[in-house]
Amino acid sequence: MAQVLRVDWPSCEARGLCHEVLPELVDLDEWGYPIVKGPLTKELMDHAKEAVKVCPRLALRIVEGR
Amino acid sequence: MESLGLEGPILWYLNRSTGVVTIVLLTVTTVLGVLAIGGRPAGRVPRFVTQAFHRNVALLSVLLLVVHLVTAVLDEFVEIRWWEAFIPFVGSYEPLWVGLGAIATDLMIIVVVTSMMRTRMKHSLWRGLHVTTYGLWALAIGHGIGVGTDMTDSMWLLTVTCAIAVPLAAVLRLGRLVIDRTSASSTTPGGLK
Amino acid sequence: MTTTYLEPHLTREEDGRPASPVPAPMEVTVRPGPALLAGIENGPSLAAHRRQYGQIPHLNGKELHALVKRMQVRGRGGAAFPFAIKLETILKGSRPILVVNLSEGELASAKDHALALTRPHLVLDGVVATAKALRTRKVHVVLPGERPGAAAAMRAAIAERSDGVNIYTSTASSRFVAGQARAVVELLSGRPNLPATTWAPEAIKGLNGRPTLLSNGETWARVGLLVLRGDEEYASIGTDEEPGATLLTMNMQGSVPIVAEAAYGDRLRDYIPHDRHGLPAMVGGFHGAWATWETLASAKVSVNKMRAMGNALGAGLVLSSPDCPVSLTTRTVEYLAGQSAGRCGPCFNGLPALATALTAVHDGHGGLERVEQLSNLVVRRGACAHPDGTVRLVNSMLSTFPAEVEAHAHGRCDLKAGSRELVGDSFTRILEVA
Repeated sequence: MAQVLRVDWPSCEARGLCHEVLPELVDLDEWGYPIVKGPLTKELMDHAKEAVKVCPRLALRIVEGR
Repeated sequence: MESLGLEGPILWYLNRSTGVVTIVLLTVTTVLGVLAIGGRPAGRVPRFVTQAFHRNVALLSVLLLVVHLVTAVLDEFVEIRWWEAFIPFVGSYEPLWVGLGAIATDLMIIVVVTSMMRTRMKHSLWRGLHVTTYGLWALAIGHGIGVGTDMTDSMWLLTVTCAIAVPLAAVLRLGRLVIDRTSASSTTPGGLK
Repeated sequence: MTTTYLEPHLTREEDGRPASPVPAPMEVTVRPGPALLAGIENGPSLAAHRRQYGQIPHLNGKELHALVKRMQVRGRGGAAFPFAIKLETILKGSRPILVVNLSEGELASAKDHALALTRPHLVLDGVVATAKALRTRKVHVVLPGERPGAAAAMRAAIAERSDGVNIYTSTASSRFVAGQARAVVELLSGRPNLPATTWAPEAIKGLNGRPTLLSNGETWARVGLLVLRGDEEYASIGTDEEPGATLLTMNMQGSVPIVAEAAYGDRLRDYIPHDRHGLPAMVGGFHGAWATWETLASAKVSVNKMRAMGNALGAGLVLSSPDCPVSLTTRTVEYLAGQSAGRCGPCFNGLPALATALTAVHDGHGGLERVEQLSNLVVRRGACAHPDGTVRLVNSMLSTFPAEVEAHAHGRCDLKAGSRELVGDSFTRILEVA
């Protein structure tokens, strides 16, 4: 199965750091919440792991799925 | 124990200077933690930069703290044993003020270790422990004032500035929080957290 | 002959949220039916139930699984998930917990309400038989917060029993999202009755980390009926692909909801009251989809067929709309926006914004582009499917009534009964056509 970046929505507080470090995959909506644009590719994996670590609310996870 | 020639002023100056700079850095990183973290849009500096800055200033202060502790122990002008850096109030030299520093050091260790393990622990636990940085900072200030034997005017100015900076930042953050809460509750019907 | 049940009067707390366009029912009319609703005139007591059905036969896990798989028992909570698959997952784990979800947060629906009043012991036999088959003694029953009569009836039924199984009751909050599976698990865990993020399905890791078999009250009743009467009788009605029957709620604003039991394959129109023939309806629930009368008239009661035509049966609700569907949808979305748990940013920001945009369209001020933009923005971005269901309803309104939507956009509302000019936010009848 592919790997995806999943948002733990109740924890997310629209801080926006995930978008700052991973703009290729994460956009922000008009209220500041992340829009994950697609599946995780190999090239983006390191940055995705960085995004997971940088989130001040630990609201991102890399999981199996679509 | 053979004298290592460690009575001269160099250790003393090193200890004093690292002590002062550590307090300044702690103040800076605490103010950064209070003000820059929060739900506001990033402004000109990206959030992850501010976050990294906060972390790096904190780590630098740890480094300086290590030098401060080592010089304090090695300096033979005053009797400070190595364990007094971690266990408060057991020493002979200024046990109260040195002890405050020891407690601050212990808190520093807890905060740094938990922050390195942040992704492997429950966020609420990490957060609760991280809030002790307020106490850490206050203890450092108290330690500095209490143990400082050469408070010149400029030193007092520096100390007072640091002492005011964190409470001021906290008041600003609190004010911002109140404003955000009152504006949020007047708009969306479902937006209650 | 039908029976009508009255609810004790419940004063609703004033919390400033928009009210549901169809409030919790004060009365429910229940019609006798061919399966679950057979013999309801004998009353809901345990004694009457045992006279009709006898004792629960003993089955083990494998036998139960084979039975529900052969009879293709599907969930009646709205998703129609195959019960056999859930059971299979549970059988792989250990120390399972069973949960009966009778919260029925969908206020316009009354089928679980009807079951609690007329057939509580079918529901309980279903879950108790499963508990014994799985060798577990832990059963939770989640009662509705907005239907005190139903809750009391269920409690009374539980008190009559002594199965050797521990049945714990909890009461759901009145919020629409309170009946969501994870929200129920949260309630049972002692936390607020609201959806939370799930990293694994409840059947694998649910309440207290244990495998949790959570199903709708009617689903358990179907299992109970199947166990008590066997597959031959169960499959004697319905079709080959879909054996058995399902409960429907026929409702309309200002009317008493009617609960009836329809065998799969029956014509849907045969269950819709005659005075509502010709009217469009919201099918499934507030997270369902609109259907024109033509669609309703040609529909057969079927999970697969109705899903294929875009009007999934869902929770079995058929909410007829005598007035403008654009108006009812707008009111519903306003209500749904206020029912958000307030935990997920895209939902508690996006749904109120969607309600505002839809109101603008309804009043003739707004852009459909904003509605479309917000619809795309809120789907799949939340801990539960509340935004997705709301968008489903909005999209079905747009695709089913394009002419009416267009009329509203020009400040008009064309209804069957006549033409009305929109004056600000209110209607003024101009002419009436017989």
